[in-house]
Amino acid sequence: MTHFQRYRFTPWLLMAPQLIIVGVFFFWPALQAVEQAFYVEDAFGLSRQFAGLANFIAVLQEPDYYQALGTTVVFSLSVALGAMAIALLLAVQADRVLKGANAYKTLLIWPYAVAPAVAGVLWLFLFDPTLGLVSAALKALGIDWNHNLDGGQALLLVILASIWKQMSYNFVFFLAGLQAIPKSLLEAAAIDGAGPWRRFWTVTFPLLSPTSFFLLVMNSVYAFFETFGTIDTVTGGGPGGATTTLVYKVYQDGFIGQDLGASAAQSVLLMILVGLLTLIQFRFVERRVQY
Amino acid sequence: MATLQLSALQKRYANGFVALHGVDLAVEDGELIVIVGPSGCGKSTLLRTLAGLESITSGELTINERRVNELEPAERDIAMVFQNYALYPHMSVFDNMAYGLKNRGVPKDDIRRRVNATAELLDLGALLDRRPRQLSGGQRQRVAMGRAIVREPQVFLFDEPLSNLDAKLRVQMRLEIRRLQKRLKVTSVYVTHDQTEAMTLADRLVVMNAGRVEQCGTPMALYERPATRFVAGFIGSPAMNFLPVTVHGERLRLPDGGELALATGLESGSELTLGVRPEHLVALDEGDATTDAGAVIRATVEMIEPLGADTLAYARMEGLDELLVVRLHGEHAAGEGSVLRLWLSPERCHLFGDDDRRIEAHHATPVTGARG
Repeated sequence: MTHFQRYRFTPWLLMAPQLIIVGVFFFWPALQAVEQAFYVEDAFGLSRQFAGLANFIAVLQEPDYYQALGTTVVFSLSVALGAMAIALLLAVQADRVLKGANAYKTLLIWPYAVAPAVAGVLWLFLFDPTLGLVSAALKALGIDWNHNLDGGQALLLVILASIWKQMSYNFVFFLAGLQAIPKSLLEAAAIDGAGPWRRFWTVTFPLLSPTSFFLLVMNSVYAFFETFGTIDTVTGGGPGGATTTLVYKVYQDGFIGQDLGASAAQSVLLMILVGLLTLIQFRFVERRVQY
Repeated sequence: MATLQLSALQKRYANGFVALHGVDLAVEDGELIVIVGPSGCGKSTLLRTLAGLESITSGELTINERRVNELEPAERDIAMVFQNYALYPHMSVFDNMAYGLKNRGVPKDDIRRRVNATAELLDLGALLDRRPRQLSGGQRQRVAMGRAIVREPQVFLFDEPLSNLDAKLRVQMRLEIRRLQKRLKVTSVYVTHDQTEAMTLADRLVVMNAGRVEQCGTPMALYERPATRFVAGFIGSPAMNFLPVTVHGERLRLPDGGELALATGLESGSELTLGVRPEHLVALDEGDATTDAGAVIRATVEMIEPLGADTLAYARMEGLDELLVVRLHGEHAAGEGSVLRLWLSPERCHLFGDDDRRIEAHHATPVTGARG
């Protein structure tokens, strides 16, 4: 003990860079948002007035807020589950490949290196109603694609783009998880009379559950917050608010609508919501992944 | 009740490496065959081809005279105990044992009855609700055995099942495996690199080297009449001493210039290797008589390893690069630096030609004992 007491300040010094970054870019703005949520400010930022819970009440009485909440639920569930399911499928296939495995892995990990906004633009071009390759193909199949008019199609497009972006991240983790499962377990299961499908669901999948749980938390957070760039470039929240998620609405109301108080109140609600969601995941899902 | 027949079994990997060069072996019903050899000799590969975990390149494998080359592991009616046990970590001991039965659609009541009976047999009754990580090494080992036994397969395959246990537990589990195998009378193939395990467990022993079977027979047959120099050096601990010798008519010239009466029928000048086990070099006391039939070797003790019942002496013999290993009685007073007079009996010598195969020799005179 006495040995370590001599280094009272060194640990703080070593942690300082990370602490400063977290403090400046997370705690400070978060606290400001909490403070802001209790004030009404004029559009030019020259004066403000304490408003108590008025911002929260206004937000919760607004039908648009509930529409965004619904959109967020559909969007987040689709993105998190879709990105995980596809990544798992690809990881299982890549794990089986013997020749050129590294090439496959590199290609599958690549999309993660693409910025969300760039990914958005990429998908925007593919599905552009007049120029897009995919929309042209869809037209040939008799499907009239125009996400600028059709809210459902717009939502589907941002979901696809967001899944594509996140899939690589999940793939890396699933592949690592698969490779950590001893081969002898699957061999034992094969001798025990389990076919490939049964082996996967009774041995591989349960043993991947710690990875799956971790990814569920990460993907939820991703779908809630980090898809902003994709939505902004592809649809800008439209048409008619069909792709406006909670985080996008925070941006719209605050930075476009200049209603900083309402925006701050929403971001506080969003923080509480995601906090609750993570808590639920840890309480109820994690309990099932221990073995 | 099953017999196992391997005919010219060959395994070549995609990269061209040949792991098995045509292995022939017939396993009788209820027999425990131990395959032993150094790492990389192909013994594990052989076991995995029997299990169906590796494909067979050529040759034939039959279980009960039915060709199983192309069958999936599950269809061969075998059970395997893995080196790392390969227990399903997310399942209880009960579920680990029940898994194979569930997959085969055995009714629930039957599963319960059979798992309980097996647990009883292996003394696992109190552990059925535990997870593998809550068990000790020995308990895990028993669960792995239980998982194999509960299925009542035609053949048991063991892949170095005791190598992860500590020495004491290993001896205990070795006895238990032997006892269970005799009681259940299930045809078994057991792979190990530990020759003590191999000697004690085997009905018949198969020594493998570089993808080939060197010799197959009862443990004592292999100990007493090793067919090759490799088997001679591999079976027995400490390993056999090897001395380069030259044929001189009906005698052999030893490295130190001494001679030993052993007729090989080979022409004079042929160079052979003489093998003698550490326990067959007899230290003579002063005044002990020797017979003409043997030779006396003088060697200076360089190191002593007392083992209690025995003492191993590492001694320098003139004309020999390696140290001779001699097994002495535990009470033997040989100290480092002392000179041993070792009596070499022709009866106890093994001769190997330059192809490393055994050469039968004839010793003219019967040996009269001269044990010190």
